Amino acid sequence: MTLFEKFFGKKKASANVAKDRLTVMLAHERAECAVPYIDDLKRDILEVLRKYTKAGDVNIKTEKNQNIDMLEIEIQLGN
Amino acid sequence: MGEVITVTSGKGGVGKSTLSANLAVGLSELGKKVVAIDFDIGLRNLDMILGLENRIVYDVVDVMEGRCNLSQALINDKRSKNLYFLPASQTNDKDILDREKVRELLEKLKKDFDIIILDSPAGIESGFEHSIFLADRALVVSTPDVSAVRDADRVIGIIDAKSQKAKDGEEVKKYVIINRLKPEMVETGSMLSVDDVLNILALPLIGVVPDDEKIITSTNEGEPIYYDKDSQAAEAYRRIARRILGEEVEFLDLSVKKGFFKRLFG
Repeated sequence: MTLFEKFFGKKKASANVAKDRLTVMLAHERAECAVPYIDDLKRDILEVLRKYTKAGDVNIKTEKNQNIDMLEIEIQLGN
Repeated sequence: MGEVITVTSGKGGVGKSTLSANLAVGLSELGKKVVAIDFDIGLRNLDMILGLENRIVYDVVDVMEGRCNLSQALINDKRSKNLYFLPASQTNDKDILDREKVRELLEKLKKDFDIIILDSPAGIESGFEHSIFLADRALVVSTPDVSAVRDADRVIGIIDAKSQKAKDGEEVKKYVIINRLKPEMVETGSMLSVDDVLNILALPLIGVVPDDEKIITSTNEGEPIYYDKDSQAAEAYRRIARRILGEEVEFLDLSVKKGFFKRLFG
């Protein structure tokens, strides 16, 4: 950035936009990558559930909050 | 025992093959016995960058399938006598590589060579898996743009999962190479800087290669730019080669030198 731009302001440099977009995107993608067993887990849970219920589907989401990694498991029971 | 160094990336077209060719030349010029293998099955191109395309008789799949001896397929470089090249096969069957045969070939080469450079295909399919499988070190190449960095991140995340070394409880050493950097654009905030990319990828840096038009002409002619004394990219390659051998080498000064008025009104 030139001095001129520093004094008189200019729209955000595109490299900063790139940096921000990448950071957000990768935080999301890495969370998925950190749980590589997610598909197997989903299959096993569904198998157990079907012994007792008519569960239709299981959704597993990963969440990262400060120091806590969470798995959010949503079970859809059938009719 | 030789060392396997895999040159990889997520995205295609970031300069893996050019880098593989030049690092192979560089390491051999530094006295190592080097073999460069093109693992991009079906999309051979390391041969053209090295200028060895007319000397190919057999390829890497011929060796693995026992259709020829290793020594029949290895092509000695025209300038660097320490450098050998093993071309990719041009088959349409991209799943032709077999894990055990890859292992057998690399184990054999490790006995004869100090360094084995594997030019991996782009993507995260089987070709990538085979080229990372026995890697001792991985050089992840990225250009400073969002797509390349994002894909590099993804590849870094799966290297260990595909590596024998990681399975054995050891570590595949991973490094980042930032390719085709345009210092003038970084200066004006129009391109991700080296620090930006490193902060995101969180791996040690082993090289920054500035964008250099001379690479196009050197590829046209099949003469690796490495030998060009005036090229900044060649200088960057020379330094990376030395770093690979464990030497501490300063990074190229890529800052843009400009006068007072330019700094003011740029």
